[in-house]
Amino acid sequence: MAKFDQGMESMVDTYIFETTSLLEQLDQILIRTESESTFGEDEINEIFRIMHTIKGSSAMMGLDNMSHLAHAVEDMFYIVREDKPVIKDTRTLYDLVFTASDLLKAEIDIVQDEDTPPTDFSEHMRRIRDYAAVLKGIVPEASERPAATEQYNSFDPDEMVEVTVVGDSMINALVTFDDDTSMANMRALLVVNNIRDKCDKLSFIPEDIESNADSAADILKNGFKVSFAPCAGVTKDDVINLISQTMCVKSCEILPSSDTKKVPAHTLTTVRVMFEPDCKMENLRAMMVVNNIHDDCELLAYYPENIETDQNTAQHIKTDGFIIRFKANIPDEEIFRTIGETPSVRSVDEVTLERSSADKKSTQSAADSNQASADAPQAGQVQSSQQPTGQQSAVKKHSDKKQSLISVNLSKLDQLLNMVGEIVIAEAMVTSNPDLRGLKLDNFQKAARQLRKLNSEMQDIVMSIRMVPISGAFNKMTRIVRDMKVKLGKDVDLVFEGEETEVDKSIIDSLNDPLMHMVRNSMDHGIEEDPQDRINAGKPAKGKITLSAYSSSGEVVIIVSDDGAGMDPQKLLTKAEKNGILTKPRSEYSDKEAMNLIMLPGFSTNEKVTEFSGRGVGMDVVKQNIEKLGGTVSVDSKPGQGTSFIVKIPLSLSIVDGMEVSVGNSIFTIPINYIKESFKLKPNQLLTDTDGHDMIMIRGECFPLIRLYELYGLEGAQENLYEGIIILAEADGKSACLLADGLMGEQQVVIKPFSPLLNNFGVKQNGMSGCSILGDGSITIILDISNIITDM
Amino acid sequence: MNEEYEVRDFASTGGEVLLFTIDGVIYGIEIKYINEIIGYEDITIVPKVPSYIKGVINIRGQIVPIISVRKRFGKEEIPPDERTCIIVLEFEGSNQVGIIVDRVREVTTAKPADICATPQHRNVNANHYIKYIIEDDSGIKLLLNCEKLVLELEN
Repeated sequence: MAKFDQGMESMVDTYIFETTSLLEQLDQILIRTESESTFGEDEINEIFRIMHTIKGSSAMMGLDNMSHLAHAVEDMFYIVREDKPVIKDTRTLYDLVFTASDLLKAEIDIVQDEDTPPTDFSEHMRRIRDYAAVLKGIVPEASERPAATEQYNSFDPDEMVEVTVVGDSMINALVTFDDDTSMANMRALLVVNNIRDKCDKLSFIPEDIESNADSAADILKNGFKVSFAPCAGVTKDDVINLISQTMCVKSCEILPSSDTKKVPAHTLTTVRVMFEPDCKMENLRAMMVVNNIHDDCELLAYYPENIETDQNTAQHIKTDGFIIRFKANIPDEEIFRTIGETPSVRSVDEVTLERSSADKKSTQSAADSNQASADAPQAGQVQSSQQPTGQQSAVKKHSDKKQSLISVNLSKLDQLLNMVGEIVIAEAMVTSNPDLRGLKLDNFQKAARQLRKLNSEMQDIVMSIRMVPISGAFNKMTRIVRDMKVKLGKDVDLVFEGEETEVDKSIIDSLNDPLMHMVRNSMDHGIEEDPQDRINAGKPAKGKITLSAYSSSGEVVIIVSDDGAGMDPQKLLTKAEKNGILTKPRSEYSDKEAMNLIMLPGFSTNEKVTEFSGRGVGMDVVKQNIEKLGGTVSVDSKPGQGTSFIVKIPLSLSIVDGMEVSVGNSIFTIPINYIKESFKLKPNQLLTDTDGHDMIMIRGECFPLIRLYELYGLEGAQENLYEGIIILAEADGKSACLLADGLMGEQQVVIKPFSPLLNNFGVKQNGMSGCSILGDGSITIILDISNIITDM
Repeated sequence: MNEEYEVRDFASTGGEVLLFTIDGVIYGIEIKYINEIIGYEDITIVPKVPSYIKGVINIRGQIVPIISVRKRFGKEEIPPDERTCIIVLEFEGSNQVGIIVDRVREVTTAKPADICATPQHRNVNANHYIKYIIEDDSGIKLLLNCEKLVLELEN
């Protein structure tokens, strides 16, 4: 059973990623404020916000234990924020929050591990609540606690110490082979070889399989025991699978690993940790020490043992110190240093083990001194001997469950994309270099093709890095619909289609607002007030809003549609007439034009202004935002059947395959996906209508002719239709023929936006979407075919 | 508001000014706007923009629109010669614009004492392209208001 709610699997990566970064943020704030030992208002709010977010998202994932812990911390900071108590004991506060943060992090690490049960945080929560009560002034500051009676001043080197095995990245598996397997030892060796490079540490019993043929019988009888620690990025299941797939392996089962074992005391390093005299809550500090060194130790034991649960141990630690016994993966000095660096630690003394004597050798005195003494290990201790790879295993074990996402600053990705763009240009500069013209260079062409292929692959990868599924933007709408459902008392289903469609990140970010406006609009105006109206119209009582997305030829199409009452063009026109926003006689408006009136500023069909809409700014904003992205938005509606908003946005903003055409002295680029064909005109193809407009007949279909030189007022262009080249272009279901002087060749171009100065003069409205630099450094203007064709 | 502040600022502090001539008149631009000065090069025409915008050029991968100051001032355009220059100005948000001038003269330091305000009369300097008049020993220079010159749309 997974720990999180079903249906949330897809969110797990994001959740882990977000929560981890929030906790990191939290730690940074804590570390910063701790060194300054002041909490600013901003920091408190920030911590409050972080905890609130973690609480919310954990609850959403169904991870109640984490949610409750975050809630406790949040409550504590609520007191800090609202009551502004004079915090005497900031140490405890920091410790509590740090510990909470550590606990949450640890829980995140195991959140995907279905075998580990959710950790119970109630103990720490109780401590937080106790402290919160202190802050509130309900309970007086913790007073002196009864002293412990036990003495820990003598140490017997032969005493058997029960230690926790920490570095237990080792997983034990019992491999059994088919009964009739011959040379089972060799099979076992095969198993070992198969998993060797997936494992950091590997040991097996019997050990002499390679040299001792007799081990075969033993293996058949008792099985073959393998202990391994998987490398980072390899799960234990991967390894088990590998083992199971080896020939003749009958089964491979994981043996429970023992958490504790008894070892003679003299094999461990023993230290006594003393804390600052007035630091309070020594038991928690001791816990922090343990946590700090935990990962670097293979074996670990400490006295008093129940520091986490028993507050009375604090007093004991205060008087007698905190005893830690460990066997480390790293040099003991490093452990000493880690302990010494833990806040409030006054001294770390290594204890020499002698029968009934308490000879202490001081190796380090000041906690703030980061220097570990070089002569720390003393006679009487057995230095732990490990395999060379063992040192990192503890660290690697933790990276196993880490999310595989990293956060990258978007501006860096923008730079990367720009750089790729420059490379595309540079490639063109080399491969279509004027100096090469007329030369026959077979090898060069081959190399150039290879370069081009690699470049385009790189482009695809860079693009795909920036692509995110649109579901993120869609999911945000769920909430809006839910809230509005309650407020408006309308029963509506929100349905997603094609939410896995991927869109450039920068587009998604600017898509949220327009989407929200459109969904609100559909909720508010689209769906009928009264369910009875719907039933009368032959529709189910429950309304439906559909968000759908798909990509088609370099564009993403996003449709927000409702099955509501729809819009009546005549009503819209009446309204628009009243508001005085009609620009031509009413009778000249087509239905489609009438629909698009709702995009004009100041137009609202709603009689009254509600919380959600009616001020007449919504759709206007949608249109502006979408156009900023280089997209278009249109409305389609049938009275009684519903309304659709259709948004089209370029899939990627930057690189297109283009055909360069010359017109006079200018070079224009037509994106290749708009071009259907190009040809020389034959006299029998040309028609002229009564208004003198030329039309071209192709295979029984008639297309209007656009002369580019005429459209852009260019001089020196080929005006003879039969001398120039005709390009048949199609966009938005409309086609037209364009007249140009000639085709210059096909090339990938990087769209560079026009400077703001030029945008002021409406170059976009005139069918130019941007410009680009060609291989020879000259500039080409990229035509926006759909704009040219629809504006005709 | 901001602009007024700036005007006052320059008048009180003075500063370095790049001088150039158009049609024999000496104009100046505050040095802070100037990115670089390049020789005249072929300009790619951008259709359907006001005639004083000559088009765009490629400056190290940046596409920079070019304005003819002569045309902006309603003067006759002359064919470019070897002294014709493009001064590349930079505005907020790395928005670059080039202006074509007849020739670039030198950089001079305007002292506050030499700076005088433009007359406030609606027939004079109607477009406010002139921000200040600098008069020193070497003569009179007109300090241009770059924002107005470049960014303001024509009525």
